[in-house]
Amino acid sequence: MRYVLRRFAQLVLVVVVVTFLAAVALRFLPGGNDVIVAIRSGGGVTPEQYQAVVEELGLDKPILSQYFSWMGDFLSGDWGTTWTTNQSISTEVKRALPISTYLMVYGQFVALAFAVPVAVWSAYRQNSRFDRVATTSAFGMLSLPNYIVAPVLMALFSVQRKWVPFPSTYHSLWDDPVAHFKAFVLPAATIAIPLYAGYMRLLRADMIGTLQSDFITTARAKGVGTRRLLFGHALRPSLFSLVTSAAVNIGSLMGGVVIVEAFFLLNGMGRLTVESIFRHEYPTVQYSVVILALIYVGINFVVDLAYAWIDPRVRAGRALG
Amino acid sequence: MSNIEIITDEESSFVPVAESKAQGRVKVRRRGRVAMWLAIVWLVFLTISAIGANSLPYVPHECEGSTSKCSTAIYGDINRIERAPVWAWFADPGKDIGTGADHTGLMGTDTNGRDIFARAMLGARSTLVIAGLAITLGLAIGTLLGMVAGYFRGWIDVFIDFLTTVMLSFPALLLAIFLVTFFNDPDSTGGAKTRPIWPIIVALVILSIPPLTRLVRANTIAYAQRDFVVAARSLGARGSRILFREILPNIVPTLLSFALTGMALLIVAEGALAFLGLSVESPTPTWGAMISSGTERLRNGVWWVSLMPALVMFLTVLSVNILGDVLAQRFNTREAIA
Repeated sequence: MRYVLRRFAQLVLVVVVVTFLAAVALRFLPGGNDVIVAIRSGGGVTPEQYQAVVEELGLDKPILSQYFSWMGDFLSGDWGTTWTTNQSISTEVKRALPISTYLMVYGQFVALAFAVPVAVWSAYRQNSRFDRVATTSAFGMLSLPNYIVAPVLMALFSVQRKWVPFPSTYHSLWDDPVAHFKAFVLPAATIAIPLYAGYMRLLRADMIGTLQSDFITTARAKGVGTRRLLFGHALRPSLFSLVTSAAVNIGSLMGGVVIVEAFFLLNGMGRLTVESIFRHEYPTVQYSVVILALIYVGINFVVDLAYAWIDPRVRAGRALG
Repeated sequence: MSNIEIITDEESSFVPVAESKAQGRVKVRRRGRVAMWLAIVWLVFLTISAIGANSLPYVPHECEGSTSKCSTAIYGDINRIERAPVWAWFADPGKDIGTGADHTGLMGTDTNGRDIFARAMLGARSTLVIAGLAITLGLAIGTLLGMVAGYFRGWIDVFIDFLTTVMLSFPALLLAIFLVTFFNDPDSTGGAKTRPIWPIIVALVILSIPPLTRLVRANTIAYAQRDFVVAARSLGARGSRILFREILPNIVPTLLSFALTGMALLIVAEGALAFLGLSVESPTPTWGAMISSGTERLRNGVWWVSLMPALVMFLTVLSVNILGDVLAQRFNTREAIA
């Protein structure tokens, strides 16, 4: 329990530092206050108006007090509006977050659904033809950037054969499930390809190690069937690196798939953040950064705790230390 | 007899290995070696082409108002716009614009009539310089931080771990955008000036530091407990001596394979920046920029503009990955860590 609390405090500190760095970075981008005022007021301001905008946004105050007042706004849930379009920032984020979440979940699900069985079988029949095809193809997939996969998939499946519509307009899962999945199938596939390759290799390597341990030989000698041996005995102790990697990817997939989102015209968190930077919509950027950082840090926290569930040795080690 | 050999092999599975499988494994090894040599050949070819990109006679056609120093990588030929590669008999170039053969060059020509192959080789220069420099610097800094954290432990370890967590929690692409826009001359938004190369390198270095630091730290911890390090310490060796003379030589092989894998990732990352319009500006080609400029035309059946540079990038990333894998297998440190 002490461990959990200490870890939690550390993670809160990480989030605070990250958001503070973001605030500082945004203030020091080229142009400074002039750009901010121009964006806020639509350009062409008198010196008095300039001063008024600066005071309204609190730009004349020291950066720490700006940061704390922003923090207060964030915690109170009053996120304000965007500068150029005067829309509520929380609405923008609420629109983008589910899209990113669906994309992440589908991509991860597809990748894991293929990676786990392929890796288990590859490890069991190491150096068989199946294994060689699986490892070689995974190696190739690792070297395929998503900005190559996305346009090719798009050209094949939504231009040549009109199987899925372009652009992938977002539909709610509950209103129109078919359109919902049609919109996500190509982007999810694009994301899943490199993920699959990474997971496959990780799990295969760990599985090969596990299959050499004594308890597997014991289980085999007891007469445990192949399927039960692989999935019941060998899989769980081999999941360590896979879970770590999959969890770390959750964070990066939420905000880091800007290119995939842009190709398929999905308005997820990544695109919202990057386009807000380009449009100098700094408040939106700050809120996106804090949300993405919270997700990343929160997931790491959960994974740390999950280790104990996957591997009892970790639990024991912590109890001793 | 051969069975005994195989079971002592580190790769052997727990399943008893039959004779036929043993032969299969030998074949796999040889195939791995072929892949390794192909990767080396491709990288050597690429390096030579990149160095000589301006002078090598790749391109069969001359530029407009041909002078002796005319590179088809930079200046296009208005009569040869979007010509398919010579070998692509199945491609339908449409031939809307200009005269002359409807298939030109090893990889065809792009929307400005520039030779894609010549451009890809010129692009290899900037791409490899950016990725190579970035991984070298990132590795140097990451190794130092990781070794210090892993050897001294204590508060400095906590601090460095905190630093890497902060860097990892910051959305990666955002960090890159911040850095590139921050260091860019504000005037360059006009587009007249070419952007400097070093902000991109700095961005990629910062992105590569945290994972490298963590990997090096884990490796250092494994070695810090070993007898030879304890012996050196009891002889009164200083910390820096132990780090650089005792631990560093042992982790160099692992570092090399990290470096290659990291370089592959950075080549891809540079392309991602180019997609967002943040890499080096044209006319200097980078692979990412070339691929992105062609994706619009992909829908119209003009696939080579985008896919040919994509192929070059794919082969390069694959080659670097293969070499990294070969190194990782050759210097498998698993038994040393355990």
